Formats: sequence, structure tokens, C-alpha cells
Amino acid sequence: MTTLINPVISLLKLFHSVKDENLHWKKANQDQQAKLKHARVLAEKALETELKKKSVQLAHEITLLRTKNDAELSMFKTKCKQDIKDYKQYLASLDQLKRSIQASYTHLPEAVAFTIHHHAKHLLNQMWEAENFEQKMQHEMQLIKFMTTVHEDTRLHLEGETNEKLPERTLNLIQQK
Amino acid sequence: MIIRIALLLMFAAFAVFLSADLLLWLAVPGLPGLMTRLGLAVLLSAFALLLITGLIVIIKLIIAANFDYFSARQRLQRRLWFIQAKQDQLNRLHYFRTLQINYFNELKRKRLLSANNRRHIHSLSKAIDKDLHSIKQQLSKTTYLQLQRENIRYRDQQDIEALLKLQQKIATIV
Repeated sequence: MTTLINPVISLLKLFHSVKDENLHWKKANQDQQAKLKHARVLAEKALETELKKKSVQLAHEITLLRTKNDAELSMFKTKCKQDIKDYKQYLASLDQLKRSIQASYTHLPEAVAFTIHHHAKHLLNQMWEAENFEQKMQHEMQLIKFMTTVHEDTRLHLEGETNEKLPERTLNLIQQK
Repeated sequence: MIIRIALLLMFAAFAVFLSADLLLWLAVPGLPGLMTRLGLAVLLSAFALLLITGLIVIIKLIIAANFDYFSARQRLQRRLWFIQAKQDQLNRLHYFRTLQINYFNELKRKRLLSANNRRHIHSLSKAIDKDLHSIKQQLSKTTYLQLQRENIRYRDQQDIEALLKLQQKIATIV
């Protein structure tokens, strides 16, 4: 019986010694633990304050962003409307160009007038669909040059400075393309 | 502490089972059955205690998780994420609205262009028809009708190239 009791007692002693050790450790490090707890609470509070500040800042940024986006959209809409208006005006002026060339060259076949008008529209579309400013400018110059040539031909024919039955310079310009 | 008690109960149950075995070996009547039932009850109570402890631990963990979820830090963090998501959403919305405006603008421009094209193709077709009518006497009836049909078809198809070729063809006949 004593052989059984002895190991049990030694086991109990070991258990108690471990507990004692644990208690000693807790007592020795009580201050540090309290400090740690305090530091953790402080850090938590600091984080909360930081998060609160950040969320207020972001909410403010959202209000600004919304205003900015609305203003940009409204400007973009106005620009698009103006673009459409300009395009309409360009089409009207090209129609006018066709009418004036027909009025000047009275026997000009409709097919030739149509070709000139169609080419001018092609140049206008190239200008409109250009992807960058440089290309746009280049196409605009081409269109202006073409329209000037048509007007020049019309003027020369009206003033009787040329006996050509067709606007040759304009047709040459189309053939060059 | 509870686990310790449960373990002690289990050891006690095994001790009771051993004593029941011993009593059975000694052939004591009645007592082994009673001891076995006692051992079983002790063992079951040990298991029940373990189970209850486990349940209590789980409930405690759930409550702690809930407290953590609704803590000020977590709430603020979620609010921050919500605001950030809102900002991203606004940016995306702006981008897509711009695309939409651009798309409708382009559509409007294309409509203007096609209306203009239609008008001029119509006048070209009319001129072709007039030319055709002026040379009607020089053409056989079938040729005249065929050319007229071609003119109408090309006009309806908005085929500029074909209309111009037709006009040239008529001009060569003249």
C-alpha cells in the first residue's frame, strides 16, 4: 500500500510546487502585467481615435468627390452638347458648300457635287474621330484646305477667271487622297 | 478545476468497476450489480460534466466573439471599410456615367450623319432618275426599267459607290 501512496504523494507535491512557482511568477510580474494591460487599453483607445479621425476625413473626402464628380459630369454634358451643336453647324456649312458650288457651276453633274460633299464629310469625320489633339489638328487643316480650295474654285469660276467646266483643283485634291 | 473533478470522477468510476470485479471474483451476491450501476452513474456524470464544461466554454467564446464584433474598434473599422467602398463606388459610377454620356453623344452624332447621308443620297438618286428619264428614248424598255430598279435598290441600300457607278454608266450611254 505504501508503494502506491508514495508516488501519489510525490505527484501531489510536484503539482503543488508547480502551482507555487506559478504564483511566484505572477507575483513577481504583477507590475509588468498591469503595465501591459494598461498599455493595451491605451493602444486600443489610440487606434479607436485614429479610426474615428480617418473615417471623418474620408466622409469629408466623399462629399468633396461627389461635388467634384457632379461638376465634372455637368461640364462634360455641356461639352458634349456643344460638340453636337458644332457638328450640326459643320454639316450645315458643308451643305451650304455643296449648294454654292452647284450655284456657281450650273452644269455641274450631281455626282460630282455629291463626291465633293462626301469627301468633305469624310474629312470632317476623320477630324471628329481623331484620337489625339495633334491628329485632330492635322485633319482640321486638311478640311480647311479642302473647303478653301472649293471656295477658290467657285470664286474663280464666278469671276470668270477660268473657263473650266468642273472645279479641277478640288477634284485634284480628292484624287490625291 | 472542472476538468480535474471530471477526471477524478472517471478514476473513481474505474475504481468502483474494479471493486465490482473483485466482489464478483469473491462471489459476493447482490453487491457487484449495485457497484456496477454506481460505477456507470459516476462515469456518466463525469462525461456529462465534461460535456457541460465544453458547452460553457463554447458559449463563453461565442459571447466573447460577439463582444469583440460589436466593440468600438471593430465598429469603427467596419465603418471605415464602408466609407472606402463607397468612395470606390463613386469613382466607378463617375467613370461609367462618363462612358454613357460619350456613348449617347456618339450615337446622336452618327444619327445626324446618317440623316445627312440619306438626304444627299436621295438627291443623287433623284438626279440619276432625271438623267435616266432624259435618255429614255435611246434605251430599250427593259434596260430602262432595270436601270431604274438598280437606282431604287442602291438608294434604299444607301450604297454610294454603286450609285456613282450607275451615274457613270448612264453618262457613258449619253
